[in-house]
Amino acid sequence: MDFGFCLSPSSHVKMDSVDLTTFNRLKEINPDVNTCIACGSCTATCTAGNFTEMSFRRMLLMLQRGKEDEAKKMIQRCMLCGKCTLVCPRGINIRKILLDITR
Amino acid sequence: MKENILIIGGGAAGMEAATQLQKMGLTPIIIEKSETLGGHIAQWDRLFPAFHPAKDVVDKMLDQVKDVKTYLNTEVVDIQKDNNGFHAVLSNNEKIDAKAVILATGFDIFKAERKQEYGYGIYNNVMTSVELEKFFRTGKDERINNPKKIGFVHCVGARDVKVCNTYCSKVCCTTALKQACEIKEVFPDAEVYTFYMDLRMFGPGYEDLYLKTQKDFDVKCVRGRVCEVSEDMDGKLVIKAEDTLFGKPLKMTLDVLVLMCAMEKNKSIDAIQQKLGVANNNDGFMQNSDMYLGMNNTAQDGVFVAGACTAPKSLPDTIGEARSVATQVYNYINR
Amino acid sequence: MNSQIFHPFVLPFVLGMAFVLTYCLVGLIRVISQLPKDDRKKFWRSLVTPKTAWANIRDLFGDCLFHVKIWKRNPVLGYMHTAIAFGWFMIIVIGHVMLFTLKPLQGVEVERLQGMFTNFYYPIFFKYFAEETPVFAFLMDFFLLMIISGILIAVVKKIHSKIVGVKRVMHFGFADSLIRFALWTIFPFRLIAEKTNIMAFWWLYSIDLLIFMCMLPFTRYMHIPTEALFILLRHAGIKVTEPRKGYVLAELYSCPSCGLCIDACPMSVNDKMSGNTSAYFMKKLRNKDTEESQRIAETCLMCGKCVKICPLSIESCDIKFSQRASIPYNINSDHSYLNVISTEAEKSSKVLYFAGCMTQLTPKIMRAMKQIMEKAGEDYQFMDENGVICCGRPMMLSGKTAEAKAMVEKNTELIKKSGATKLVLSCPICYKVFKEEYHLEGIEIQHHTQYIDELVKTGKLKVSKGDVNYVYHDPCELGRAFEIYDEPREVLENVGNLRKAKSEKEISICCGGSLGSFTLTQQERDEITANSVNDLMFNNPDEIVTACPLCLKTFARKSPVKVKDIAEVVSEKI
Repeated sequence: MDFGFCLSPSSHVKMDSVDLTTFNRLKEINPDVNTCIACGSCTATCTAGNFTEMSFRRMLLMLQRGKEDEAKKMIQRCMLCGKCTLVCPRGINIRKILLDITR
Repeated sequence: MKENILIIGGGAAGMEAATQLQKMGLTPIIIEKSETLGGHIAQWDRLFPAFHPAKDVVDKMLDQVKDVKTYLNTEVVDIQKDNNGFHAVLSNNEKIDAKAVILATGFDIFKAERKQEYGYGIYNNVMTSVELEKFFRTGKDERINNPKKIGFVHCVGARDVKVCNTYCSKVCCTTALKQACEIKEVFPDAEVYTFYMDLRMFGPGYEDLYLKTQKDFDVKCVRGRVCEVSEDMDGKLVIKAEDTLFGKPLKMTLDVLVLMCAMEKNKSIDAIQQKLGVANNNDGFMQNSDMYLGMNNTAQDGVFVAGACTAPKSLPDTIGEARSVATQVYNYINR
Repeated sequence: MNSQIFHPFVLPFVLGMAFVLTYCLVGLIRVISQLPKDDRKKFWRSLVTPKTAWANIRDLFGDCLFHVKIWKRNPVLGYMHTAIAFGWFMIIVIGHVMLFTLKPLQGVEVERLQGMFTNFYYPIFFKYFAEETPVFAFLMDFFLLMIISGILIAVVKKIHSKIVGVKRVMHFGFADSLIRFALWTIFPFRLIAEKTNIMAFWWLYSIDLLIFMCMLPFTRYMHIPTEALFILLRHAGIKVTEPRKGYVLAELYSCPSCGLCIDACPMSVNDKMSGNTSAYFMKKLRNKDTEESQRIAETCLMCGKCVKICPLSIESCDIKFSQRASIPYNINSDHSYLNVISTEAEKSSKVLYFAGCMTQLTPKIMRAMKQIMEKAGEDYQFMDENGVICCGRPMMLSGKTAEAKAMVEKNTELIKKSGATKLVLSCPICYKVFKEEYHLEGIEIQHHTQYIDELVKTGKLKVSKGDVNYVYHDPCELGRAFEIYDEPREVLENVGNLRKAKSEKEISICCGGSLGSFTLTQQERDEITANSVNDLMFNNPDEIVTACPLCLKTFARKSPVKVKDIAEVVSEKI
């Protein structure tokens, strides 16, 4: 039975069909990607984040929620300055991961 | 049976262990390096989660150990073990023989200067949680002049590989909320923000405290770790963090910033600990033999541990451990 | 006695010689033809320009034969190399000179001997064919023994390298071991052959040479002929452009895998990481092991110590950069957002202070600089107090020179609009890129060590001397890159006592925090840091002083004493 809920597109993240290829490949090279605790330090300190929406923390989430294109667009803003890597409390090698996303 | 038990450290753990051992008919001897008993807790104003005066607890504990042989301003400078037990040399050159040793050396407060980006020791209005507690106790601190906006930073020196401390310091979350409420009590018009990564309200009554800070004290909890602090022209603090729930970086001007400093292992005991053959665990605290049934035991026979020397602990945790160490020592003597 | 001027035992040698010469000729043509057109022109011109020609001659002798740079680092190794290279060279030279003075053996006609020149045939093994004249005989024996003494040291080094002051040596494969064995035995065989005249040894000697020469192109010994070409190319001013082509090819084959850079490398704190050193990188790239060479290129801290210490000054860091640039990252950088930043300067002042990204995380440096500039009464402006644009260097470190342009341009615009005549930087990483990539005509670029030194020397800044013992750590991008060694030390001597580190100046050890490395883990970096701190603590200083925010943060994790920036130290003494 269809009560009409399928007519309009759902705003849910479709976790059943998310394509995790990029994230899984990333995870293989950098197991660190799983250790993010989303504290936001990388975003707050980001040099490019002063001017743009750049946020590494969200980028990782995007990759895990099927928004790879958005993530790749975000990386374009990065200046690779490395401040994020310096403040990450989990010691994630963010600069390397940023580069590997597009590799 | 009047066997000497050497207790190094006269804080909550040391005092409570001594009390229990004395009741068991043993002879505890407390060695305390500072001039008073009571340890960190004696520096505290009120205790979470119910704002109970710390002095109340400390006074009761002091009363219980008034007959215990205590050395103040004294440290153990050397210790040897042979078949008859332990032979310690104190800094006043006295020698003490004991059948067992309890390490109740507690913790040190993380030195906030090490987290340079938070500006402690650089900007006047950045203070530590310990200093704020002192303000509550004495009512005096020149940095606190009717502040309008106050911020708390959680996890300073904890959960941070950059300062080599990856553990959670356990009590800072609750302490931050307690202090946030207290500062609101003193300055009801002030806006109070806390910046947290996770709020860990693990104990009885802690969640109630959390609710109270939101409902009764209007403390605003922002989920995001402060990453940089600077000072503007007027000497006010400007902090940067990401509001991770909103998904945007934020900047904010504050009058006072309080750093919730983590507990670290008390390193002043390192030399003696080494002589006793007690190793450190990955977090730099003392290694006990196992975390369930051997929490008071070490790899060395006759050497016991209690309290925050093995990990960050709350006061009830510490008292519980002190009582259990007494049982362990009693069994060891009567084995 | 031999009554002939030819014996079949010389054939293996002649064969080997022919092979190696052909190979080198083909290689030479390949390298030269792969050079970009401009570089090729530069090269031909450099050969006839007196200045470069003289440098060529000087270095051909100094580096290829006498190994002057190795002597400076380690005299025992210096002697070992000189003994073998120069000794061998002299044997060849004297041998040829001797041709003119040959005294024919019994039964050999003088005419036939002299005919050798016209017949394009050289007798190499004189003793077999002719009797030596006394002086030459002595010289030949002398140099032969010299070579053998060098080989003896090499054998000792192989068995126990620590005796000759080398901690870590390279690990070689079968081919390299075989050719080394051939090299080691050539001269003992010759000695025995000359002294005993047993035919079998003459054969062994010749076959040994054949093995050596046939294997030479495929092993590290290829450095012997290539070195000469590399020196010429380097003096021509040619720079690394793309990996594994032209000039780089010459560099790759010039690397003798001597392994001096292994002990020098900050990463050599354990066996695993010592495999990331330049010697291995060059070897992997030479052997077309792209995966490994790329891995090492991305791991390297880019501290530049291996280049400074290399007997041939092979620019391994530049090669690693070009290797990084060849990794297909598709970031498609878009920094157009920088355009919205206003370039209107609020005011104009003489000195412009640019703290840089990293310094934003070390507020002590910024505060100290403000105090210093105010105390000195400088007319200054803080360019990035409220936000910063990256200088572009980190982007370049990842091999993305073109992408760094947006930042370079915007910063240039901002700086020029400020009307300043002096730009002061706190971060050596910025300093390097500002010095090398920015075109700021009329604006003096200084790192704050130089700036403070100048303020103190001109009397603008009065400092008081305390009794704290400092040790100074040379940040890679300030020290090795620009040789700013004296300014910070002079400043420190004005405010306290300067103690020496174990390794200083050009051999100072990277703190381990370098942005140069992309892949080192925190744990690996910590090991490097601990080693560097140990080196600094050699003379038990009270405080470690550095001049880089990144070094400061890195050392603070592991140091047993206080770590401060030089600006902070000075600000305490004004």
